Amino acid sequence: MLCAALPLLWLPLAGAAATEEPTPEPGSPGEPPPGLALFRWQWHEVEAPYLVALWILVASLAKIVFHLSRKVTSLVPESCLLILLGLVLGGIVLAVAKKAEYQLEPGTFFLFLLPPIVLDSGYFMPSRLFFDNLGAILTYAVVGTLWNAFTTGAALWGLQQAGLVAPRVQASLLDFLLFGSLISAVDPVAVLAVFEEVHVNDTLFIIVFGESLLNDAVTVVLYKVCNSFVEMGSANVQATDYLKGVASLFVVSLGGAAVGLVFAFLLALTTRFTKRVRIIEPLLVFLLAYAAYLTAEMASLSAILAVTMCGLGCKKYVEANISHKSRTAVKYTMKTLASCAETVIFMLLGISAVDSSKWAWDSGLVLGTLFFILFFRALGVVLQTWVLNQFRLVPLDKIDQVVMSYGGLRGAVAFALVILLDKTKVPAKDYFVATTIVVVFFTVIVQGLTIKPLVKWLKVKRSEHHKPTLNQELHEHTFDHILAAVEDVVGHHGYHYWRDRWEQFDKKYLSQLLMRRSAYRIRDQIWDVYYRLNIRDAISFVDQGGHILSSTGLTLPSMPSRNSMAETSVTNLLRESGSGACLDLQVIDTVRSGRDREDAVMHHLLCGGLYKPRRRVVCLNQDPNKAHILHLYKASCSRHFISEDAQERQDKEVFQQNMKRRLESFKSTKHNICFTKSKPRPRKTSRKKKDGLANTEATNGKPPRNLSVQDTAAVILTVESEEEEESDSSETEKEDDEGIIFVARATSEVLQEVKVSGSLEVCPSPRIIPPSPTCAEKELPWKSGQGDLAVYVSSETTKIVPVDMQTGWNQSISSLESLASPPCTQAPTVTRLPPCPLAAEEPQHPFNLPYDPRPSFAFPPSLAKAGRSRSESSADIPQQQELQPLMGYEDRTHLSPGTANSHWCIQFNKGSRL
Amino acid sequence: MFGVPELDEGVQKGLFYRYQDLAPQLVPLDYTSCPDVKVPYELIGSMPELKDNPFRQRIAQVFSDDGDGHMTLDNFLDMFSVMSEMAPRDLKAYYAFKIYDFNDDGYICAWDLEQTVTKLTRGELSAEEVSLVCEKVLGEADGDHDGRLSLEDFQNMILRAPDFLSTFHIRI
Repeated sequence: MLCAALPLLWLPLAGAAATEEPTPEPGSPGEPPPGLALFRWQWHEVEAPYLVALWILVASLAKIVFHLSRKVTSLVPESCLLILLGLVLGGIVLAVAKKAEYQLEPGTFFLFLLPPIVLDSGYFMPSRLFFDNLGAILTYAVVGTLWNAFTTGAALWGLQQAGLVAPRVQASLLDFLLFGSLISAVDPVAVLAVFEEVHVNDTLFIIVFGESLLNDAVTVVLYKVCNSFVEMGSANVQATDYLKGVASLFVVSLGGAAVGLVFAFLLALTTRFTKRVRIIEPLLVFLLAYAAYLTAEMASLSAILAVTMCGLGCKKYVEANISHKSRTAVKYTMKTLASCAETVIFMLLGISAVDSSKWAWDSGLVLGTLFFILFFRALGVVLQTWVLNQFRLVPLDKIDQVVMSYGGLRGAVAFALVILLDKTKVPAKDYFVATTIVVVFFTVIVQGLTIKPLVKWLKVKRSEHHKPTLNQELHEHTFDHILAAVEDVVGHHGYHYWRDRWEQFDKKYLSQLLMRRSAYRIRDQIWDVYYRLNIRDAISFVDQGGHILSSTGLTLPSMPSRNSMAETSVTNLLRESGSGACLDLQVIDTVRSGRDREDAVMHHLLCGGLYKPRRRVVCLNQDPNKAHILHLYKASCSRHFISEDAQERQDKEVFQQNMKRRLESFKSTKHNICFTKSKPRPRKTSRKKKDGLANTEATNGKPPRNLSVQDTAAVILTVESEEEEESDSSETEKEDDEGIIFVARATSEVLQEVKVSGSLEVCPSPRIIPPSPTCAEKELPWKSGQGDLAVYVSSETTKIVPVDMQTGWNQSISSLESLASPPCTQAPTVTRLPPCPLAAEEPQHPFNLPYDPRPSFAFPPSLAKAGRSRSESSADIPQQQELQPLMGYEDRTHLSPGTANSHWCIQFNKGSRL
Repeated sequence: MFGVPELDEGVQKGLFYRYQDLAPQLVPLDYTSCPDVKVPYELIGSMPELKDNPFRQRIAQVFSDDGDGHMTLDNFLDMFSVMSEMAPRDLKAYYAFKIYDFNDDGYICAWDLEQTVTKLTRGELSAEEVSLVCEKVLGEADGDHDGRLSLEDFQNMILRAPDFLSTFHIRI
């Protein structure tokens, strides 16, 4: 949204620039070229957007340069560097153009630069932390800001009365109050820029930062009220106007918040229905949030508050609704835009300061203002904290108060507001502008530079990045309940009581309404966390495994995709992001692989006893065939949604064993039955769909011949089928996330396969079924004519889909046998049709095996093991491993699980016709 | 084991009225004459605010004298003062531990955790899932690898997380 809007950003500037610099480009459209011009220079047509892009580019490059030296950035906050760079650039512009250009325009700032920053901070606000400290935040934001504004304004007026301000500063008490109102607000951009690098503890950060966001309403009201009073002239202000001023405080703040919440609701509701148009999901988030901002701005409500509330309110539902990729897109786009806007703001602030026409210096005013804002901020914080500590669960100690006082940074908001003053009404505007610039520079540079050493020196509790544990989650919930219970028993409706109420309301109504049904699984948070931790561990293991593998020559093209897949399924599960503050933060902040690796190491060290999830991981890790992991993940992830009867649980358990053990355990017939029984329904439907889609020739192909086989395949191996199934039975995000990868690979795979095998007669044998049930359906066994192939494949199959395959095969074979299947004389097309499970139809399927199929189907354990070991030793063939996770490479019919059915069909047709 | 901190006079009075409110027919206003009166758990557990709270019974049991959930005034006051901010961290951890320890054997074992998780998740997880979660929880916190959490394990784990016990109190 912003990208599209950015070209507008510099229009005023560019316009000024155009009049100023007569762009001495050759061939400018002034003189009509004779005939057809080979080369035409059209600077004016692209000027505005070009300049915008150029400035952003400069800012980004500057950022890169700053971060080249870690020493500098660890000492000096980026905002300082940017302001200084702005000063230099401003100087250059001034020297070149002889006029200050490219300043921070209030319109640009409020309409384009501020919203992304606020949206970013609102959306990624740790909501639990925020609401836990809401009382303090509101107090500081409302009372604190009012206090600062009035005391600063009054004190400055007193200073003037005392004669310490030069008489050429013509300002009344009202003017000073107006100035006080704009200079008193803590600025979110500056606070964010500085505090992000300081890493004070979460409570402290959220209080200062929350204050800076929420005080916008107060600032806006104060500024507007004072401004209109000044414009009316103090004589004309009546008592009702004061009342109106007070009332407008409520209107502006509550109205802004309401607008934000309405848009948050709309946004959440809209994303509920984007299942088929995933691509616009990120856009929707930005558009509606921006619409909230503009709407609030239009109604002269607090726009910052609106966007903050919008981001805060919608996040839980939006995150649950949109796909994983969209989530990533939203996250990075938001961060990028915010960072970009922040960079540009600070740079332009620096440039704006160069304008000498603005400078109307008065030492008394400047020094007085500096002293007063620091003094009254500190005083205000101390007083308010004293009051708050009477009520707070965790009192704020002295050190916290020092940091809070010192962290009250002023920034671009104040600057933009002071620029907006009307010089005819406020004669001292120039002095105010100069003072504001000094104050902003002082707070950002001096305080920004010193706050880090100060925090270190005072030993302020830093934020600790510890891994969220299941214990933490569990105890947090338990404690909440216990506290709520005790509160209830003693008849006190405190914070816990209300949170309890809210959570129930949310669960009963809001979530039902705003989350798509698949997202709103009544899964519990604890389970989610458990799951997430498991997956995280697993990913870290895979990461490690990845390194080992790459050293042995395996290429890892699919690493990222695998990560994302695992993560997808995990994050899909993270429904209740609302109160999981720390978790959310983690998700945002972590650099994936590094963290994960650390976690993995930790786990290696800490957890001696293997519990199930780990076991699963380990086994996967051992297996060089990494795609296995992926599939298992996938399967196991989605499995958790499907059903919970006892059989299901049993096979879940089975999944957690390592491959070999699984192989062994699978041999027991009991499990076979379980599998077959556990969930035939959804898969059937999905298969049917696929059939209808892909198998054009086969009209009778719908009923799968052999339930058990296909079931197993679906359960254990196939990503696609699972997805399909999920999307059929219920909507899931995964489909579009993964499908692409697989299909692409599958295609290349098929091609490669053709080349490798050389002859088309190497038909995909029946035993390749595992990769995908669809394939299995189409190409079912009855096809293959090669004896050796059958052997290979069967061993492979054993490895992958041991039990169910076995049962299925055995069943089908026995039935075939009993029916005395005819030799394969029938047309190949017929053979490919997914055969009907009915025994009567079976004989029709050409079963053209020259030898008895049974040995291969019988899966002697030794053979199965051989197959497995072979596949393990085959790790040195990376490509095939990568592409065909589920089969050993000896199996020349490479069928990756996602292989497009069409490929199969075509190839197969040819082969059979030959 | 730990001394439960004394409450203010005023707070005690307020709590007494609340206590008396719970069962006006049982608890006389002049309490000193019959200090052994108990409010039966049925009255506490049936409070409308509490009906959704999964731990109501357990809390009453832990704080009552003989673990049956019937609370005397002293129990009632104790409950509040343990949850008040004056109570030391160890005391809170101890009571939290007791609340978790459903079978009162001095250890949080897998069975105890399963109770907790089942209550917390309101029975939405299958037994299998619950036991998986419990295993993980045990694995995370079990310092001595004996398959159950002692009070020491529990305290270590609780104290490791910042702000954990510091927010574990209420104010009136």
